[in-house]
Amino acid sequence: MIDTVRSELLKIRSVPGVWVCFGLAFPLTALIMWAVFASAGGFPGHTYSFVSTVNQKRDLLGAGYFGITFLAPVLGVICITSEYRHKTITSTFVLTPRRERVLAAKMLVTGWWCLLMALLSLVVVIAAGLPWNAALGGVTSQVTAQLGAVVPGLVVASILFGLFGLGFGTLVKNQVTGILLTIGGTFILEPLLVALARGVFHYDLNWLPSAAAAALAGSLARGGLGGNHDVTTHYLPWWAGGLVMLAWGLIPLALGYFTTVRRDVT
Amino acid sequence: MSTPSPSRGLPIEISELTKHFGSVLAVDHLDFVVEPGRVTGFLGPNGSGKTTTLRMLLGLVTPNAGRATIGGRFYRDLPDPSGTVGAVLEATSFHPARRARTHLRMVARAGGHDEARADVVLDLVGLTADAQRKVGGFSMGMRQRLELASALIGDPDVLILDEPSNGLDPQGIAWLRDFMRYLAGEGRTILVSSHLLAEMAQTIDDAVIVSHGQLKAQGTLESITAGVAQASMHARTPEADRLCAVLTEAGVRFRRLSVDLVAVDGMTPEQLGPLLATNQIILYELTNEGADLESIFLSLTAGLGFGELAQPT
Repeated sequence: MIDTVRSELLKIRSVPGVWVCFGLAFPLTALIMWAVFASAGGFPGHTYSFVSTVNQKRDLLGAGYFGITFLAPVLGVICITSEYRHKTITSTFVLTPRRERVLAAKMLVTGWWCLLMALLSLVVVIAAGLPWNAALGGVTSQVTAQLGAVVPGLVVASILFGLFGLGFGTLVKNQVTGILLTIGGTFILEPLLVALARGVFHYDLNWLPSAAAAALAGSLARGGLGGNHDVTTHYLPWWAGGLVMLAWGLIPLALGYFTTVRRDVT
Repeated sequence: MSTPSPSRGLPIEISELTKHFGSVLAVDHLDFVVEPGRVTGFLGPNGSGKTTTLRMLLGLVTPNAGRATIGGRFYRDLPDPSGTVGAVLEATSFHPARRARTHLRMVARAGGHDEARADVVLDLVGLTADAQRKVGGFSMGMRQRLELASALIGDPDVLILDEPSNGLDPQGIAWLRDFMRYLAGEGRTILVSSHLLAEMAQTIDDAVIVSHGQLKAQGTLESITAGVAQASMHARTPEADRLCAVLTEAGVRFRRLSVDLVAVDGMTPEQLGPLLATNQIILYELTNEGADLESIFLSLTAGLGFGELAQPT
């Protein structure tokens, strides 16, 4: 199993798509930081201000969350679908004939890279966001005091978003379909369904992926800039959000295992 | 052909192997054994079930019935799969952005082998100079060599090669032939499928011939060629009508190929010669057809009496 994980680590590292995801995480984190300072200063005049409220501080620290909500699923999708796209799945299954081990290794590797992505976004905030905040007159220690509240949710949400992508990638095998399904589902279909459920049935559809992840990530999302803007949504408890998000990854992964991974490789 | 060293290979045993894809019967109760220390050609026309058989052997395709084992074990049950079996299946299964050495390091890691083996096998297949190049820029021949390098990473006892000479230039094919013979000489088991029959005839010790998923012949190359060579003599004569009458009277199977050409089945030259002399039939030419692998292959896979000529052993 350790050999398979080591091989998968090298495999994903040598795929350009992963580095594209990481490359995009930088500007997206910077963009959200800019929005946080602009929001703190009152958007219309484009005057920037340091972060003062708890939510603003958490939004700044979790500036990477927005990018993670779609980059982590894409990374998860790529981790499995690039194997089918380039037909390397044949040699993967020859080298590791116990296919469940391959999937388990991919889960670990996806989780690891999504963890790195979350940490990278924090590094960007610490390296650029905190000096920027200080330059605007903010007190750095007041912001870093919120790290404990932000980091666990950010990291776990990133990992679970990665598994979400891996699950759907395993299920559909096709890279483009997998990316469209996860990103389109999260950013287009989910808001539509939420609006429909609330408007027609007066029901908070809070167990769909981004709402579940928002519950887990806590104030990052509730503050308005880091994720879901809809403050009227009644979120699940953080632990329930985590479990629901985990299910959004594991259920398609299990379905994918039984419907595609176990199938004949012809 | 080869004189194997003390055997390090394992036998491959295919027993009653059957596979359906929907209503298509791809492999039909296939039975054969591949012995260590020999190069065994797995021959058959396109769609005859060769690739499906090899994939069942490697656990990529699940058979509907029967067994395919290596040293008595299913591939997935081998304690060290890539250290036991090396497989070359398709030369297109590379990520184009990955460098050759990285690809091999990845393969080595997956099999639990020393990553330094990557450079060893690159050298073996003559790709050392291209180790840092991305596979996307490789020719088909180079990809075949890289695929072979991947198969050799665990220094396996058994090599399974599916059309390994595809895309190789004549030099590459000659190199591959020598390489297979060298590996078999070390006692390894080599099972190689190919449609390049002339090339295979120079390479293999044994042949397994399949058609429509069924075994048509198995044995040493000599035994198969001998069986079929005896079975088809072409006689060119101005007295073809009289020859046909003589053969009919003698109860010999024959086919009239043209006005002056008759194919006589099931007779050796030693048997046919006296029959012609006794009946004073003028003969312009008597040729022993079917002595090469290609004609055997065509004969067997076209269903021309192969069951009687070269029984599976």
